[in-house]
Amino acid sequence: MKTAQTQYAHQRPAIICLVGITLVWLLSAGNTFAAGTKIPRLNGKPDFSGIWQTTSAADYDLEPHSNRKDAPPGAGIVEGNFIPYLPSALEQKKKNFEARATLDPALKGYTLGVPRGIYYPEPFQIFQRKQDLTLVHQFGHSVRTIHTDGTDHPKDPYDWWLGDSRAKWEGDTLVVDIKHFNDKTWLDGAGNYHSDALHVIEKWSFIDPNTLEYQATIDDPKVYSRPWNLSVILYRHREKDFQLIEDYRFTLDYDQYYPPKPNKQ
Amino acid sequence: MKHYTKLGSTLIFGLGMTALLFTGSTRAADTQTQPEVKKAPATRPLKLGGQGIEQERNFPKITSGKWTGPRLADGQPDVQGHWSNTVANHNNFTDPQGGILNDPNPNRIPKGPREERAPSRVSDPADGQVPFQPWALEKVKEFRAGFHNPTKPEYIEPLARCAPGGIPKSLFWHGYEISQYPGYVLFQFNSGTRIIHLDGKPHLPENIKLWNGDSRGHWEGNTLVVDVGNHNGKALFGRSGEFISENGKIQERYIFSNDGDRYTYEALLTDPTVYTRPFTVTVPARKWTAKDEPNGWHFEVEPATHSGKEIILDQYERICTENNGGFGLVAAEAPAPTPAAATTPAPAK
Repeated sequence: MKTAQTQYAHQRPAIICLVGITLVWLLSAGNTFAAGTKIPRLNGKPDFSGIWQTTSAADYDLEPHSNRKDAPPGAGIVEGNFIPYLPSALEQKKKNFEARATLDPALKGYTLGVPRGIYYPEPFQIFQRKQDLTLVHQFGHSVRTIHTDGTDHPKDPYDWWLGDSRAKWEGDTLVVDIKHFNDKTWLDGAGNYHSDALHVIEKWSFIDPNTLEYQATIDDPKVYSRPWNLSVILYRHREKDFQLIEDYRFTLDYDQYYPPKPNKQ
Repeated sequence: MKHYTKLGSTLIFGLGMTALLFTGSTRAADTQTQPEVKKAPATRPLKLGGQGIEQERNFPKITSGKWTGPRLADGQPDVQGHWSNTVANHNNFTDPQGGILNDPNPNRIPKGPREERAPSRVSDPADGQVPFQPWALEKVKEFRAGFHNPTKPEYIEPLARCAPGGIPKSLFWHGYEISQYPGYVLFQFNSGTRIIHLDGKPHLPENIKLWNGDSRGHWEGNTLVVDVGNHNGKALFGRSGEFISENGKIQERYIFSNDGDRYTYEALLTDPTVYTRPFTVTVPARKWTAKDEPNGWHFEVEPATHSGKEIILDQYERICTENNGGFGLVAAEAPAPTPAAATTPAPAK
């Protein structure tokens, strides 16, 4: 009896040839990708509606790291590997790292901030209209609105957990300018941090209809010696009936007290 | 740059508004001590779209029927925008304008007869009361007695700890925004976010329990019909302590008027472990638009920066717990919250 392997052995050259042709086509596709592959669109712009999540270990530590008790290993997502901290800021980062088991704001269930919410290992959903994109993060069900209606940052801003996001389309890339942050969020669980001078520029684009490339340029003159870049790939959740499930983790410490229950007999 | 939080400023404003609201009744009390004034005005005037939390005492009932208003590309009636209840906050569920029960401050106890205030949010049964089983009513009374000086964690209204408002309380807690997308209606409340799924997928497995439950909806003419399962029962209905349990089911009807100005919220609450019968909650709501003045409780918007002439309104992020270390106002240096600390509940949020 023939095994599957022997059965198809004679087809191998053909398969290899087909793979080769596909590769050449993919490589040559390059700039014509958008025309050749249908990405979802809304009012002519890429439609990022959907539920997205990264598979990277970025949230454990943005920088390259070996495994440790509280993190799997990861090659990092920072361009050039390491964040260009100012000397005093690097000391603070080291202190944060040592105390991460108690100081990481995510452990308190706090809003993750930008960009951490994007690569935190829980899904988020994008709701898109012409005038805005609304990001709902499963974690805390916190909401960030990215305005695409031609408005600019407020003239009299507050310091926000998620900053103020104003965006424009550059071709099929959504470019988001985010500032007016507070200094209470971290960039990951390893103590990488920023000040209230944080300025983030995000670039969102499709790699294929179910995959997004997310790039962010992070600037903060109080903490870094120069702007630096990170990037992650986001995958669309395509499981049947997949949905966000509320994760209001900050209520767990007291939710045992509600609702009232009958007295025990 | 401002370093206090948006929520903080809202709270300050809220406290101010509360003071304003009670100025009327304080004056009424003063005049009663002066013999030359025969009769104090029984009720202060209210104005729809005006300042303050209480906007009206009576409201029209909107009935289910055809939708003749605008539709979105996917066919849903277009009801997007800023909405808020018109009657009161969550001080008191069944006497919405009646102040907090057992309030130790006499100036905050309403002076006029019950008929001069908005009706109970319980529209059926006719007595306006939640048909609690005896044990549950005892628990509600216990909560009311303990609320003003809580000696147990369960006497703290969970919204004071920034827990999501839940159902139905979110519908009468600050203004909120409704936005719609193919397959979804999204509610952005001041405390909590609700995604209504319109695609008919089954509810989550029953053992998953959520503050805002798990919502499946569909449109019937002018009415958004929502079935809520997976409710954790923890949110309470207000400072008067009414509740549903994790065994409860809620069926909601959002009945929109065809002019797009209002909707009537009707919810049927069923829970054989807490109530003696199902009952109906009714909450009136109105839309707020750029034609309205911003209102620090119902319509918390700011004009956006842009070069055009039309008015575009921003609503800034709604984030609570992280700012609430010392009830919102001393957020900056607040320590991490300690579990189960019986802290003093919010005086007027």
